[in-house]
Amino acid sequence: MVKLYINSFKNNIKIQLEYKASFIMNSISQLFVFFTYYFVIIALFNKFDNIKGFSVYEVLLCFSIIHFGFAFNETFFRGIDKFEDLVIDGSLDRFLVRPQGILFQVLCTKIDFVKIFRILQSLVVMIIALVNLDIHWNIGKVIVLILMMMASVLIFFGLFVLTASYCFITIQGLEVKNLFTDGGKNLAQYPISIYRKGIVIFFTFIIPYGFINYYPLLYFVDRTDNMLYMLSPLLVFIFLIPCLLSFKIGMKHYNSAGS
Amino acid sequence: MRAYLNYFKLRLITNLQYRSAALAGIFTQLFFAALYIMLYLALYESNTGVKAPMDWNSLVTYLWLQQAFFAITYPYLRDNELLSMIQNGNLAYELIRPQNFFLKFYIKMLAERVVATLLRCIPIIIIGMLLPYPYKLCLPPTLGNFLVFMGSLILSCLLVTALSLIVHIITMFTIDSRGITSAYMMIAEVFMGIVVPIPFFPLWMKKVSEYLPFRFIGDFPYRAYSGNIDIMEGKTLLIGSFIWMTLALIFGYLISKYALKKAVIQGG
Repeated sequence: MVKLYINSFKNNIKIQLEYKASFIMNSISQLFVFFTYYFVIIALFNKFDNIKGFSVYEVLLCFSIIHFGFAFNETFFRGIDKFEDLVIDGSLDRFLVRPQGILFQVLCTKIDFVKIFRILQSLVVMIIALVNLDIHWNIGKVIVLILMMMASVLIFFGLFVLTASYCFITIQGLEVKNLFTDGGKNLAQYPISIYRKGIVIFFTFIIPYGFINYYPLLYFVDRTDNMLYMLSPLLVFIFLIPCLLSFKIGMKHYNSAGS
Repeated sequence: MRAYLNYFKLRLITNLQYRSAALAGIFTQLFFAALYIMLYLALYESNTGVKAPMDWNSLVTYLWLQQAFFAITYPYLRDNELLSMIQNGNLAYELIRPQNFFLKFYIKMLAERVVATLLRCIPIIIIGMLLPYPYKLCLPPTLGNFLVFMGSLILSCLLVTALSLIVHIITMFTIDSRGITSAYMMIAEVFMGIVVPIPFFPLWMKKVSEYLPFRFIGDFPYRAYSGNIDIMEGKTLLIGSFIWMTLALIFGYLISKYALKKAVIQGG
Protein backbone atom coordinates (compact mmCIF):
# COMPACT_ATOMS: atom_id res chain seq x y z
CA MET A 1 0.00 0.00 0.00
CA VAL A 2 2.84 2.34 0.88
CA LYS A 3 4.49 1.34 -2.39
CA LEU A 4 1.34 2.22 -4.32
CA TYR A 5 1.14 5.59 -2.64
CA ILE A 6 4.78 6.31 -3.41
CA ASN A 7 4.16 5.37 -7.03
CA SER A 8 1.22 7.72 -7.38
CA PHE A 9 3.26 10.33 -5.55
CA LYS A 10 6.00 10.05 -8.14
CA ASN A 11 3.49 10.25 -10.96
CA ASN A 12 1.92 13.36 -9.50
CA ILE A 13 5.30 15.05 -9.23
CA LYS A 14 6.09 14.13 -12.82
CA ILE A 15 2.82 15.66 -13.99
CA GLN A 16 3.52 18.87 -12.15
CA LEU A 17 7.11 19.10 -13.35
CA GLU A 18 5.95 18.86 -16.96
CA TYR A 19 4.99 22.52 -16.73
CA LYS A 20 8.22 23.91 -15.38
CA ALA A 21 7.51 27.64 -15.59
CA SER A 22 4.15 27.08 -13.98
CA PHE A 23 5.74 25.00 -11.25
CA ILE A 24 8.28 27.69 -10.41
CA MET A 25 5.70 30.50 -10.40
CA ASN A 26 3.47 28.38 -8.26
CA SER A 27 6.22 27.69 -5.74
CA ILE A 28 6.97 31.39 -5.46
CA SER A 29 3.31 32.16 -4.91
CA GLN A 30 3.33 29.80 -1.93
CA LEU A 31 5.83 32.09 -0.26
CA PHE A 32 3.54 35.08 -0.66
CA VAL A 33 0.51 33.42 0.84
CA PHE A 34 2.41 32.26 3.86
CA PHE A 35 3.99 35.63 4.35
CA THR A 36 0.63 37.35 4.89
CA TYR A 37 -0.14 35.03 7.79
CA TYR A 38 3.28 35.57 9.28
CA PHE A 39 3.06 39.33 8.82
CA VAL A 40 -0.07 39.60 10.97
CA ILE A 41 1.63 38.17 14.02
CA ILE A 42 4.83 40.15 13.56
CA ALA A 43 2.95 43.42 13.00
CA LEU A 44 0.72 42.93 16.05
CA PHE A 45 3.59 42.05 18.33
CA ASN A 46 5.41 45.09 17.09
CA LYS A 47 2.78 47.16 18.92
CA PHE A 48 1.90 44.84 21.79
CA ASP A 49 4.23 42.67 23.80
CA ASN A 50 2.00 39.80 24.84
CA ILE A 51 -1.40 38.28 24.25
CA LYS A 52 -2.98 36.99 27.46
CA GLY A 53 0.51 36.33 28.77
CA PHE A 54 1.83 34.55 25.70
CA SER A 55 4.95 35.96 24.11
CA VAL A 56 5.51 36.33 20.38
CA TYR A 57 7.63 33.17 20.15
CA GLU A 58 5.08 31.09 22.00
CA VAL A 59 2.46 32.31 19.56
CA LEU A 60 4.75 31.57 16.63
CA LEU A 61 5.26 28.03 17.88
CA CYS A 62 1.51 27.62 18.14
CA PHE A 63 1.15 29.09 14.66
CA SER A 64 3.80 26.89 13.08
CA ILE A 65 2.30 23.69 14.44
CA ILE A 66 -1.16 24.39 13.07
CA HIS A 67 0.23 25.45 9.69
CA PHE A 68 2.44 22.39 9.55
CA GLY A 69 -0.58 20.11 9.90
CA PHE A 70 -2.64 22.02 7.39
CA ALA A 71 0.15 22.20 4.81
CA PHE A 72 0.91 18.52 5.28
CA ASN A 73 -2.66 17.68 4.41
CA GLU A 74 -2.71 20.05 1.48
CA THR A 75 0.42 18.43 0.10
CA PHE A 76 -0.06 14.73 0.63
CA PHE A 77 -3.80 14.32 1.16
CA ARG A 78 -5.01 16.87 -1.36
CA GLY A 79 -7.36 14.34 -2.97
CA ILE A 80 -9.72 14.26 -0.01
CA ASP A 81 -10.04 18.04 -0.07
CA LYS A 82 -11.20 17.84 -3.68
CA PHE A 83 -13.47 14.87 -2.98
CA GLU A 84 -16.60 16.70 -4.17
CA ASP A 85 -15.22 16.71 -7.74
CA LEU A 86 -15.09 12.92 -7.70
CA VAL A 87 -18.68 12.69 -6.49
CA ILE A 88 -20.00 15.32 -8.90
CA ASP A 89 -18.55 13.87 -12.08
CA GLY A 90 -19.05 10.28 -11.00
CA SER A 91 -15.42 9.23 -11.20
CA LEU A 92 -15.77 7.78 -7.73
CA ASP A 93 -17.53 4.83 -9.40
CA ARG A 94 -14.28 3.67 -10.90
CA PHE A 95 -12.76 3.40 -7.46
CA LEU A 96 -15.45 1.01 -6.34
CA VAL A 97 -14.28 -1.72 -8.67
CA ARG A 98 -10.63 -1.58 -7.69
CA PRO A 99 -9.11 -3.82 -5.03
CA GLN A 100 -8.03 -1.06 -2.66
CA GLY A 101 -9.74 0.98 0.02
CA ILE A 102 -11.74 3.94 -1.30
CA LEU A 103 -10.16 6.46 1.03
CA PHE A 104 -6.72 5.26 0.10
CA GLN A 105 -7.44 5.62 -3.62
CA VAL A 106 -8.86 9.09 -3.09
CA LEU A 107 -5.64 10.11 -1.37
CA CYS A 108 -3.66 8.83 -4.32
CA THR A 109 -5.56 10.92 -6.87
CA LYS A 110 -3.96 14.21 -6.10
CA ILE A 111 -0.74 15.26 -4.46
CA ASP A 112 -0.07 18.95 -4.62
CA PHE A 113 3.67 18.93 -4.51
CA VAL A 114 4.24 22.71 -4.50
CA LYS A 115 2.51 22.96 -1.15
CA ILE A 116 5.59 21.30 0.29
CA PHE A 117 7.01 24.81 0.39
CA ARG A 118 4.40 25.68 2.98
CA ILE A 119 5.49 22.74 5.10
CA LEU A 120 9.08 23.95 4.87
CA GLN A 121 8.06 27.49 5.81
CA SER A 122 6.12 26.33 8.83
CA LEU A 123 9.16 24.36 9.92
CA VAL A 124 11.35 27.44 9.52
CA VAL A 125 8.97 29.44 11.71
CA MET A 126 8.98 26.60 14.22
CA ILE A 127 12.77 26.65 14.37
CA ILE A 128 12.80 30.43 14.81
CA ALA A 129 10.38 30.05 17.70
CA LEU A 130 12.27 27.16 19.31
CA VAL A 131 15.64 28.91 19.10
CA ASN A 132 14.29 32.00 20.80
CA LEU A 133 12.19 30.27 23.42
CA ASP A 134 14.85 29.07 25.87
CA ILE A 135 13.48 25.59 26.43
CA HIS A 136 14.83 23.11 28.95
CA TRP A 137 14.93 20.15 26.64
CA ASN A 138 14.25 16.67 27.94
CA ILE A 139 12.73 13.53 26.51
CA GLY A 140 9.21 14.65 27.45
CA LYS A 141 9.58 17.84 25.46
CA VAL A 142 10.70 15.97 22.37
CA ILE A 143 7.76 13.59 22.64
CA VAL A 144 5.25 16.36 23.13
CA LEU A 145 6.55 18.30 20.13
CA ILE A 146 6.27 15.24 17.89
CA LEU A 147 2.82 14.47 19.26
CA MET A 148 1.65 18.02 18.58
CA MET A 149 2.82 17.85 14.98
CA MET A 150 1.20 14.48 14.46
CA ALA A 151 -2.05 15.58 16.04
CA SER A 152 -2.09 18.65 13.83
CA VAL A 153 -1.83 16.50 10.72
CA LEU A 154 -4.50 14.14 12.00
CA ILE A 155 -7.08 16.74 12.98
CA PHE A 156 -7.09 18.35 9.55
CA PHE A 157 -7.20 14.94 7.94
CA GLY A 158 -10.21 14.12 10.09
CA LEU A 159 -11.91 17.38 9.19
CA PHE A 160 -11.30 16.88 5.49
CA VAL A 161 -12.75 13.37 5.67
CA LEU A 162 -15.72 14.68 7.62
CA THR A 163 -16.50 17.40 5.08
CA ALA A 164 -15.92 14.92 2.27
CA SER A 165 -18.54 12.60 3.71
CA TYR A 166 -20.90 15.54 3.71
CA CYS A 167 -20.66 15.55 -0.10
CA PHE A 168 -22.56 12.27 -0.18
CA ILE A 169 -25.60 14.13 1.08
CA THR A 170 -25.29 17.38 -0.82
CA ILE A 171 -23.53 16.14 -4.00
CA GLN A 172 -21.68 19.42 -3.97
CA GLY A 173 -18.94 21.07 -2.06
CA LEU A 174 -20.20 22.99 0.89
CA GLU A 175 -18.86 26.48 1.29
CA VAL A 176 -19.43 26.48 5.02
CA LYS A 177 -16.98 23.62 5.35
CA ASN A 178 -14.18 26.12 4.96
CA LEU A 179 -15.22 27.58 8.29
CA PHE A 180 -14.08 24.47 10.10
CA THR A 181 -10.87 23.91 8.18
CA ASP A 182 -9.70 27.30 6.99
CA GLY A 183 -11.48 29.23 9.72
CA GLY A 184 -10.28 26.79 12.33
CA LYS A 185 -6.76 27.14 11.06
CA ASN A 186 -6.96 30.92 11.40
CA LEU A 187 -8.41 30.65 14.86
CA ALA A 188 -5.97 28.09 16.15
CA GLN A 189 -2.95 30.13 15.08
CA TYR A 190 -3.14 31.60 18.57
CA PRO A 191 -3.40 29.74 21.88
CA ILE A 192 -7.16 29.23 22.19
CA SER A 193 -7.26 30.53 25.74
CA ILE A 194 -7.20 34.08 24.34
CA TYR A 195 -10.78 33.63 23.11
CA ARG A 196 -14.01 33.67 25.07
CA LYS A 197 -15.22 30.67 27.08
CA GLY A 198 -17.71 29.36 24.54
CA ILE A 199 -15.09 29.20 21.80
CA VAL A 200 -12.62 27.47 24.09
CA ILE A 201 -15.16 24.81 25.02
CA PHE A 202 -16.21 24.27 21.40
CA PHE A 203 -12.66 23.93 20.16
CA THR A 204 -11.68 21.66 23.02
CA PHE A 205 -14.54 19.19 23.08
CA ILE A 206 -16.23 19.36 19.66
CA ILE A 207 -13.33 20.05 17.31
CA PRO A 208 -10.30 19.46 19.49
CA TYR A 209 -7.94 22.18 18.24
CA GLY A 210 -7.05 22.86 21.84
CA PHE A 211 -5.37 19.49 22.20
CA ILE A 212 -3.02 20.25 19.35
CA ASN A 213 -1.33 23.46 20.20
CA TYR A 214 -2.74 24.77 23.45
CA TYR A 215 -2.77 22.19 26.25
CA PRO A 216 0.42 20.50 25.10
CA LEU A 217 1.98 23.92 24.54
CA LEU A 218 1.44 24.72 28.21
CA TYR A 219 3.49 21.67 29.08
CA PHE A 220 6.09 22.49 26.47
CA VAL A 221 6.78 26.00 27.76
CA ASP A 222 6.80 24.84 31.40
CA ARG A 223 3.53 26.41 32.46
CA THR A 224 2.46 23.06 33.84
CA ASP A 225 4.20 19.78 34.52
CA ASN A 226 1.08 17.69 34.43
CA MET A 227 1.74 14.59 32.30
CA LEU A 228 -1.84 14.61 31.05
CA TYR A 229 -1.19 17.86 29.21
CA MET A 230 1.76 16.25 27.54
CA LEU A 231 -0.28 13.29 26.31
CA SER A 232 -3.37 15.32 25.38
CA PRO A 233 -2.63 15.32 21.63
CA LEU A 234 -3.45 11.62 21.67
CA LEU A 235 -7.10 12.55 22.19
CA VAL A 236 -7.22 13.62 18.56
CA PHE A 237 -7.29 9.93 17.68
CA ILE A 238 -10.72 9.76 19.30
CA PHE A 239 -11.83 12.62 17.09
CA LEU A 240 -10.81 10.61 14.04
CA ILE A 241 -13.27 7.81 14.84
CA PRO A 242 -16.51 9.65 14.04
CA CYS A 243 -14.86 11.23 10.99
CA LEU A 244 -13.88 7.91 9.46
CA LEU A 245 -17.16 6.35 10.52
CA SER A 246 -19.20 9.03 8.78
CA PHE A 247 -17.22 8.45 5.61
CA LYS A 248 -17.95 4.75 5.84
CA ILE A 249 -21.65 5.37 6.33
CA GLY A 250 -21.69 7.83 3.45
CA MET A 251 -19.97 5.30 1.22
CA LYS A 252 -22.57 2.67 2.08
CA HIS A 253 -25.39 4.95 0.95
CA TYR A 254 -23.56 6.28 -2.07
CA ASN A 255 -25.63 6.65 -5.22
CA SER A 256 -23.69 7.48 -8.32
CA ALA A 257 -24.38 10.93 -9.70
CA GLY A 258 -22.32 10.71 -12.86
CA SER A 259 -22.82 8.97 -16.15
CA MET B 1 -24.17 53.95 -22.98
CA ARG B 2 -27.65 52.40 -22.94
CA ALA B 3 -26.15 49.04 -23.88
CA TYR B 4 -23.75 49.15 -20.94
CA LEU B 5 -26.49 50.12 -18.51
CA ASN B 6 -28.70 47.31 -19.70
CA TYR B 7 -25.83 44.88 -19.44
CA PHE B 8 -25.25 46.06 -15.88
CA LYS B 9 -28.89 45.41 -15.02
CA LEU B 10 -28.76 42.00 -16.66
CA ARG B 11 -25.69 41.02 -14.67
CA LEU B 12 -27.30 42.24 -11.45
CA ILE B 13 -30.27 39.96 -12.05
CA THR B 14 -28.08 37.01 -13.01
CA ASN B 15 -26.00 37.36 -9.88
CA LEU B 16 -29.07 37.50 -7.69
CA GLN B 17 -29.49 33.79 -8.45
CA TYR B 18 -26.61 32.95 -6.15
CA ARG B 19 -28.43 33.55 -2.91
CA SER B 20 -27.40 30.36 -1.14
CA ALA B 21 -23.76 31.24 -1.76
CA ALA B 22 -24.48 34.56 -0.07
CA LEU B 23 -25.85 32.77 2.99
CA ALA B 24 -22.64 30.79 3.31
CA GLY B 25 -20.79 34.06 2.85
CA ILE B 26 -22.67 35.67 5.72
CA PHE B 27 -21.70 32.85 8.07
CA THR B 28 -18.09 33.05 7.01
CA GLN B 29 -17.99 36.79 7.47
CA LEU B 30 -19.64 36.64 10.88
CA PHE B 31 -17.16 34.00 11.96
CA PHE B 32 -14.20 36.09 10.91
CA ALA B 33 -15.64 39.25 12.46
CA ALA B 34 -15.99 37.41 15.76
CA LEU B 35 -12.54 35.88 15.43
CA TYR B 36 -10.76 39.16 14.76
CA ILE B 37 -12.68 41.09 17.41
CA MET B 38 -11.83 38.51 20.05
CA LEU B 39 -8.21 38.49 18.97
CA TYR B 40 -7.88 42.25 19.28
CA LEU B 41 -9.89 42.23 22.50
CA ALA B 42 -7.36 39.81 23.98
CA LEU B 43 -4.51 42.04 22.80
CA TYR B 44 -6.09 45.19 24.21
CA GLU B 45 -7.00 43.55 27.51
CA SER B 46 -3.53 42.18 28.12
CA ASN B 47 -1.69 45.37 27.18
CA THR B 48 -3.52 48.04 29.15
CA GLY B 49 -0.29 49.96 29.72
CA VAL B 50 0.51 50.31 26.02
CA LYS B 51 -1.11 53.09 24.04
CA ALA B 52 -3.05 51.35 21.27
CA PRO B 53 -2.86 52.88 17.80
CA MET B 54 -6.67 52.91 17.44
CA ASP B 55 -9.32 53.41 20.09
CA TRP B 56 -11.48 50.36 20.72
CA ASN B 57 -14.74 51.60 19.19
CA SER B 58 -13.05 52.63 15.94
CA LEU B 59 -11.31 49.29 15.75
CA VAL B 60 -14.41 47.16 16.31
CA THR B 61 -16.33 49.24 13.79
CA TYR B 62 -13.45 48.86 11.35
CA LEU B 63 -13.46 45.09 11.73
CA TRP B 64 -17.24 44.83 11.30
CA LEU B 65 -17.35 47.04 8.22
CA GLN B 66 -14.48 45.13 6.70
CA GLN B 67 -16.46 41.92 6.96
CA ALA B 68 -19.78 43.50 5.90
CA PHE B 69 -18.30 45.01 2.74
CA PHE B 70 -15.88 42.19 2.12
CA ALA B 71 -17.24 41.53 -1.36
CA ILE B 72 -16.72 45.15 -2.40
CA THR B 73 -13.17 45.50 -1.27
CA TYR B 74 -11.78 42.01 -1.85
CA PRO B 75 -8.79 42.68 -4.13
CA TYR B 76 -9.29 39.87 -6.62
CA LEU B 77 -12.52 38.12 -7.53
CA ARG B 78 -11.66 35.40 -10.00
CA ASP B 79 -13.60 35.44 -13.27
CA ASN B 80 -13.14 32.10 -14.98
CA GLU B 81 -14.97 33.14 -18.13
CA LEU B 82 -12.37 35.80 -18.73
CA LEU B 83 -9.39 33.67 -17.78
CA SER B 84 -10.31 30.71 -19.96
CA MET B 85 -11.13 32.93 -22.92
CA ILE B 86 -7.67 32.60 -24.42
CA GLN B 87 -7.57 28.83 -24.09
CA ASN B 88 -11.00 28.08 -25.51
CA GLY B 89 -10.92 30.73 -28.20
CA ASN B 90 -14.00 32.61 -27.04
CA LEU B 91 -11.94 35.74 -27.25
CA ALA B 92 -12.82 35.81 -30.96
CA TYR B 93 -16.47 36.53 -30.08
CA GLU B 94 -15.46 39.42 -27.89
CA LEU B 95 -13.42 40.98 -30.68
CA ILE B 96 -16.37 41.20 -33.08
CA ARG B 97 -18.74 42.81 -30.61
CA PRO B 98 -19.40 46.53 -30.98
CA GLN B 99 -18.97 47.10 -27.24
CA ASN B 100 -15.62 47.87 -25.71
CA PHE B 101 -13.97 44.79 -24.23
CA PHE B 102 -12.64 46.50 -21.12
CA LEU B 103 -15.85 48.33 -20.26
CA LYS B 104 -17.97 45.25 -20.77
CA PHE B 105 -16.01 43.13 -18.34
CA TYR B 106 -15.63 46.05 -15.97
CA ILE B 107 -19.40 46.27 -15.75
CA LYS B 108 -19.73 42.54 -15.35
CA MET B 109 -17.33 42.49 -12.42
CA LEU B 110 -18.85 45.58 -10.88
CA ALA B 111 -22.31 44.01 -10.93
CA GLU B 112 -20.96 40.87 -9.30
CA ARG B 113 -19.47 42.86 -6.44
CA VAL B 114 -22.52 45.07 -5.96
CA VAL B 115 -24.91 42.14 -5.72
CA ALA B 116 -22.64 40.07 -3.50
CA THR B 117 -22.34 43.01 -1.14
CA LEU B 118 -26.02 43.91 -1.11
CA LEU B 119 -26.95 40.33 -0.26
CA ARG B 120 -24.45 40.08 2.57
CA CYS B 121 -23.92 43.43 4.20
CA ILE B 122 -27.33 44.13 5.72
CA PRO B 123 -27.64 41.10 8.03
CA ILE B 124 -24.03 41.51 9.11
CA ILE B 125 -24.48 45.20 9.92
CA ILE B 126 -27.71 44.56 11.83
CA ILE B 127 -26.12 41.80 13.91
CA GLY B 128 -23.09 43.99 14.57
CA MET B 129 -25.26 46.86 15.76
CA LEU B 130 -27.37 44.71 18.07
CA LEU B 131 -24.44 43.28 20.00
CA PRO B 132 -23.46 44.79 23.36
CA TYR B 133 -20.38 46.89 24.09
CA PRO B 134 -17.05 45.34 23.34
CA TYR B 135 -18.51 43.80 20.18
CA LYS B 136 -20.79 46.64 19.08
CA LEU B 137 -20.64 48.15 15.62
CA CYS B 138 -21.00 51.87 16.39
CA LEU B 139 -22.86 54.53 14.43
CA PRO B 140 -20.79 57.19 12.70
CA PRO B 141 -20.31 60.23 14.99
CA THR B 142 -21.68 62.77 12.50
CA LEU B 143 -23.54 62.79 9.19
CA GLY B 144 -20.40 64.22 7.58
CA ASN B 145 -18.41 61.13 8.51
CA PHE B 146 -21.09 58.96 7.02
CA LEU B 147 -21.10 60.89 3.76
CA VAL B 148 -17.32 60.65 3.44
CA PHE B 149 -17.65 56.93 4.14
CA MET B 150 -20.27 56.44 1.43
CA GLY B 151 -18.30 58.44 -1.11
CA SER B 152 -15.09 56.61 -0.36
CA LEU B 153 -16.79 53.23 -0.46
CA ILE B 154 -18.22 53.90 -3.92
CA LEU B 155 -14.83 55.08 -5.19
CA SER B 156 -13.22 52.08 -3.52
CA CYS B 157 -15.51 49.69 -5.37
CA LEU B 158 -14.83 51.39 -8.72
CA LEU B 159 -11.09 51.36 -8.06
CA VAL B 160 -10.74 47.78 -6.87
CA THR B 161 -12.80 46.46 -9.77
CA ALA B 162 -10.49 48.24 -12.20
CA LEU B 163 -7.40 46.81 -10.47
CA SER B 164 -8.87 43.33 -10.39
CA LEU B 165 -9.65 43.51 -14.10
CA ILE B 166 -6.16 44.77 -14.90
CA VAL B 167 -4.69 41.76 -13.10
CA HIS B 168 -7.03 39.50 -15.09
CA ILE B 169 -5.93 41.05 -18.37
CA ILE B 170 -2.26 40.75 -17.50
CA THR B 171 -2.59 37.13 -16.43
CA MET B 172 -4.85 36.12 -19.32
CA PHE B 173 -1.82 36.18 -21.55
CA THR B 174 0.54 34.25 -19.31
CA ILE B 175 0.68 30.47 -18.94
CA ASP B 176 0.12 30.38 -15.25
CA SER B 177 -1.72 33.15 -13.50
CA ARG B 178 -1.12 32.01 -9.95
CA GLY B 179 2.27 33.59 -9.39
CA ILE B 180 1.29 37.11 -10.42
CA THR B 181 -2.11 36.86 -8.83
CA SER B 182 -0.85 35.81 -5.45
CA ALA B 183 1.89 38.44 -5.46
CA TYR B 184 -0.75 41.08 -6.20
CA MET B 185 -3.06 39.59 -3.58
CA MET B 186 -0.40 39.65 -0.93
CA ILE B 187 0.59 43.26 -1.53
CA ALA B 188 -3.04 44.36 -1.81
CA GLU B 189 -4.21 42.48 1.28
CA VAL B 190 -1.42 43.79 3.43
CA PHE B 191 -1.57 47.40 2.28
CA MET B 192 -5.34 47.71 2.32
CA GLY B 193 -5.32 46.65 5.91
CA ILE B 194 -7.28 43.42 5.47
CA VAL B 195 -5.11 41.57 7.92
CA VAL B 196 -3.97 44.38 10.18
CA PRO B 197 -5.27 47.99 10.03
CA ILE B 198 -2.71 50.49 8.75
CA PRO B 199 -2.36 52.40 12.08
CA PHE B 200 -0.81 49.21 13.51
CA PHE B 201 1.93 49.16 10.86
CA PRO B 202 5.56 49.95 11.59
CA LEU B 203 6.43 53.47 10.46
CA TRP B 204 8.26 52.61 7.25
CA MET B 205 5.37 50.47 6.06
CA LYS B 206 2.93 53.26 6.78
CA LYS B 207 5.04 55.44 4.49
CA VAL B 208 4.92 52.80 1.76
CA SER B 209 1.16 52.48 2.09
CA GLU B 210 0.74 56.18 1.35
CA TYR B 211 2.18 55.72 -2.12
CA LEU B 212 -0.04 52.78 -3.06
CA PRO B 213 -3.68 52.78 -4.15
CA PHE B 214 -4.69 50.00 -1.77
CA ARG B 215 -5.27 52.16 1.31
CA PHE B 216 -8.15 53.80 -0.55
CA ILE B 217 -9.82 50.43 -0.99
CA GLY B 218 -9.96 48.88 2.43
CA ASP B 219 -8.58 51.30 4.95
CA PHE B 220 -9.82 54.80 4.21
CA PRO B 221 -13.61 54.12 4.06
CA TYR B 222 -13.76 52.19 7.32
CA ARG B 223 -11.66 54.64 9.26
CA ALA B 224 -13.55 57.61 7.84
CA TYR B 225 -16.81 56.06 9.07
CA SER B 226 -15.76 55.97 12.70
CA GLY B 227 -14.08 59.36 12.59
CA ASN B 228 -10.62 57.88 12.97
CA ILE B 229 -9.90 59.90 9.83
CA ASP B 230 -11.59 63.27 10.35
CA ILE B 231 -13.79 64.93 7.76
CA MET B 232 -11.20 67.47 6.60
CA GLU B 233 -8.57 64.83 5.95
CA GLY B 234 -11.27 62.63 4.47
CA LYS B 235 -12.09 65.23 1.84
CA THR B 236 -8.49 65.38 0.64
CA LEU B 237 -8.30 61.59 0.61
CA LEU B 238 -11.48 61.44 -1.47
CA ILE B 239 -9.66 63.42 -4.15
CA GLY B 240 -6.72 61.00 -3.95
CA SER B 241 -9.11 58.09 -4.27
CA PHE B 242 -10.73 59.69 -7.31
CA ILE B 243 -7.36 60.24 -8.98
CA TRP B 244 -6.29 56.63 -8.41
CA MET B 245 -9.60 55.39 -9.79
CA THR B 246 -9.24 57.50 -12.94
CA LEU B 247 -5.66 56.36 -13.44
CA ALA B 248 -6.61 52.72 -12.98
CA LEU B 249 -9.45 52.99 -15.48
CA ILE B 250 -7.30 54.71 -18.09
CA PHE B 251 -4.47 52.24 -17.59
CA GLY B 252 -6.86 49.29 -17.81
CA TYR B 253 -8.43 50.65 -20.97
CA LEU B 254 -5.06 51.14 -22.65
CA ILE B 255 -3.64 47.81 -21.56
CA SER B 256 -6.70 45.93 -22.78
CA LYS B 257 -6.40 47.64 -26.17
CA TYR B 258 -2.75 46.71 -26.39
CA ALA B 259 -3.42 43.15 -25.25
CA LEU B 260 -6.18 42.58 -27.77
CA LYS B 261 -4.00 43.81 -30.57
CA LYS B 262 -1.40 41.20 -29.61
CA ALA B 263 -3.88 38.42 -28.98
CA VAL B 264 -3.69 35.28 -31.05
CA ILE B 265 -6.91 33.36 -31.46
CA GLN B 266 -6.42 29.69 -30.87
CA GLY B 267 -8.89 26.91 -30.50
CA GLY B 268 -12.41 27.10 -31.78
